[in-house]
This record gives sequence, C-alpha cells and structure tokens, in this order.
Amino acid sequence: MSELLTQIFDTVNIGVVTLDLDLRVQYWNRWMELHSGIRAAKIIGSPLFDFYPNLNNVRFAKNCKAVLSFGNFSFFSQKLHRYLFPFKPDGSFGCNFDFMQQSCTMGPLRDQANAITSLFLIVQDVTELAASEQRLIELNTKDALTGIYNRRYLEAHLKDECERHLRYSRKMSLVMFDIDYFKKVNDTYGHQCGDLVLKTIATRISQLVRTTDYLVRYGGEEFCCILPETSAEDAVNLAERFRCQISELVMGYKEDKVRVTISLGISELRDEDTPDHLLKRADDALYRAKNAGRDRVVFG
Amino acid sequence: MEEEQALLSDEEKDILQEIMNIAFGQAAADLAEIINVFVVLNVPYIKVLKAVDLPAFLRSEISGREPISMVEQHFWGEFKGSAFLIFPSGSGKELVSIMGDGGGGAEFESFIFDVMEKETLMEVGNILIGACVGKVAELLGDRVTYSPPRVAIENYSIESIPADIFDLESSAIVLRTVFTFNERDVTGFLFLVTRYESIAWLKEALVTFMEKYE
Repeated sequence: MSELLTQIFDTVNIGVVTLDLDLRVQYWNRWMELHSGIRAAKIIGSPLFDFYPNLNNVRFAKNCKAVLSFGNFSFFSQKLHRYLFPFKPDGSFGCNFDFMQQSCTMGPLRDQANAITSLFLIVQDVTELAASEQRLIELNTKDALTGIYNRRYLEAHLKDECERHLRYSRKMSLVMFDIDYFKKVNDTYGHQCGDLVLKTIATRISQLVRTTDYLVRYGGEEFCCILPETSAEDAVNLAERFRCQISELVMGYKEDKVRVTISLGISELRDEDTPDHLLKRADDALYRAKNAGRDRVVFG
Repeated sequence: MEEEQALLSDEEKDILQEIMNIAFGQAAADLAEIINVFVVLNVPYIKVLKAVDLPAFLRSEISGREPISMVEQHFWGEFKGSAFLIFPSGSGKELVSIMGDGGGGAEFESFIFDVMEKETLMEVGNILIGACVGKVAELLGDRVTYSPPRVAIENYSIESIPADIFDLESSAIVLRTVFTFNERDVTGFLFLVTRYESIAWLKEALVTFMEKYE
C-alpha cells in the first residue's frame, strides 16, 4: 500500500481490516489498534479467529465465503448483528450498550487479473445512532408515567399478534383491567397520589407477566395485557393473581395508606377475530365485572 | 413502448437474455454450493424500458391491491445503476423462517420481528442482487461495488408508487424471476435501472461478449 494511502487509512475514523484467503489478518489500521488494544504488528499474519473466536460462526463464515468465492459484498447491519468486534463503546457514560455498536461492510479485493486475493472489512461505530434510535423507540412505545407500553404500541402490534396466532392456530388471550373508584383516589389524595397508584400497579403487574406478554397502559386508569400463547383458562388464572396481588397491596402516600382493587375482563382469540373484536369482548367483560360489584375477573 | 427499439436492438436483447440466463444459473449454483441457499432463479424474459414507463409496467405485472416491499441497492462499475427487488409483502416473514438460524422465530417480540423481517429482506436482497449483478458484470468483464441494501418501500400498494421514484432519465432492464427459496416459493421481480451512459457501455460489452464466441 502506498505511503500516502496508509496515512489516510490510519487517520480515518473507521476500522479497516484486510484478510487473506485463509482469513489471516493482512492489514489492521490505527482505528482497529485503538479500539481493540491489539497492535497491528501483533495481529498481522494471525488467523482473525485466534483473536476473535466470537466470529468463528456459521453466519460469518458464509459471508466470507460469499465474498471470496463469488465476489459478493456483505453488510452486517447493527440492527441484526449489533457488532462484529467486541469493543468497548467510546465515551460510554449514559450508554446502554456493553459493546460498541457497529455497522460493517465486507467485500472482495482483486488483483490485476481480476482474481479475488483477499477481502476487506470496514467497521463503523454507530453506537450513538443506535442509542438515539433506542431512545426514540422508547419515547414512542412507552408510557412516560408508568414505563410500560403505551396504546400506540398496542395498536401497532395487536394486529400482527392476532394474525400470527391465527395463522399457526395458537391460543392467545387478552386481559383488560381498570382500577376501581380511581376517581375517588384522585379526589381524596390528589393527582400525585393517583400517579403513584398507577405507577405502583404497573410495576407490580409487570412483575407477574412473562417477558413475552405485553402490559399496556390503555387509557387513564385502564390497562391491557396481551398474553401470547395463552388459553382463556390460563389467562383467567393469571388475572386472578393480578386481582389478589393488587387487593393486598398497601401503598404509602405521605401519612396515608392507600388501597385499591381492580376489575378485569378477559377475552380469547377466535377464528375470524379482528383486534377490535378481541378488545371489545375484553372490554365488555370488564364492564360486566364492574356491574357485578368490582374487584373480580370476568371472562367474555 | 416503441422506444424500446432505440435502447437495445433485438439482437442485443437476445445476447443480454443469454447472459442473464448464464448469470442466473451460475448465481444459483454458487448460492447453493457456497452458502447453502437453494434458489431457483427463472428468467422467463427480460424487457428493456424507459424508467418513466416502469411504474405502469409494474402495475400491469403485479396484481393491483397486493402490498409490496422493495429492496434497493446501488451498484457502481462501468455498469452502474440501481437494482430493485420487489417482494409481495409478507414474504419477509416467510424468508425470516427460511433464512433464520433457528434462533427464536415465533418467540420474537413482535417489534424485534418487524426489524428481523426488514433486515432479512435486505439480506436476501443483497445476496440475490449481488449474485446476479456480480455475475452479469463478471461475464461482461466489469467490476462493481455496491451500496448497502435498503428497504425503499414497505407494505405499499403498487398503485401508489409515484412515477418519480426512479430516475426518469434512466432505462430499466426488467427481469421477472421466481425465486424458490429452499423449496418454498417466493415470487419477486428483479430489475436493474441503469443510466443512459451505462446502456452505451452495455451495447459495447454485449458485442465484445459475442465476439468471444464467433
């Protein structure tokens, strides 16, 4: 490589690596030295996998083969791969990532006769971008007060969930619940207390659901819980646990002890259901639970 | 479509068709042998159009209301332009399960699943476009590089694709292909939109290609 190009490659703010046909490191630029802590002199000539065994997997190998055998390009997006090289994130304060998020490109390098002699890898640090994207997603899908999913999220995903379950003939249920006499809490103790109650209930319930369930703040004091792969019977049992846990919960607000109960309506996905049907049946069941005296579970 | 004549002669089109057949055959063989992706690429016909006529052409070929997704990737060489791969919407889901490493699938949180679907469309797009364009370029003695693939259109009705999405000064070589991915049918269109100067180069390259056989 010419002296001039070497200077440029050592200055650019991206990682540049080249590997020979046996995937031994041929070139390792300054950026790679800086972030890996491995000097070029040390790694050049060694198989890349000796230093990065995490890359020794089927997917990466396939991409290398595609590049070396038929000159394809490969793109390792941050969204799918997170990173190739486990580097510490730059300026890592306030960052949610354990490793630098990377967007990588791999392609062939050819000689004068057009034969592929090596491959290049370009590594771009996209941690900041990924972090702000994560933040945007959070703002868009989470309820600011309770930290659980918001209604927008529900609307965007309930349809997909319904379709997926119907396609594979799987059971799915939905719990709609509401805090009994919530207005009284607000009127008696003030809105700050109301907020505390909402937050506490959201936190408590989210500890009871599986990671595959979605707990959503549907409206003011109304919540909704999507339960994938769950029969009505299991949903009723779970809802009963929600009800018990909340009725036993004592929330301290200033000098007061606040207790509330919840009413719950359940629906199970049927053939030909739309998300609206599913929501409507749970809502109707909730309404019946309210009319029947509150603090209870009704299947609709 | 009388302009077609002006772009490529019948003979040139025949040669191009032949090159595409060879390229697709080799691309399919490479994909199977090297990365275990079994894909049948059919090239029933190719068509050369002005880019301005492309949306109308696509509308006539793809049944009306069905939403589509489109992966776009640019390539640069003597032969330069953009490759577009159109899938019916929902293919992404199918492809995720075909291409997936068996890591998760149905358990994916649906947000992640959407991302997976999109990324898989891009990955499949990159493989197919790379293999096809790369082979064509190789046969014509060219060397191309690519931009990262991008999902240009997601879940959109073909009816509502604006005419100016393609560079109107350009020409398009349209290849209708049916991919059979690992024994499951995913039908799509691949088309290459090239700048006029590439067409000039293409004409020359086609002649050179033929001379090798004469």
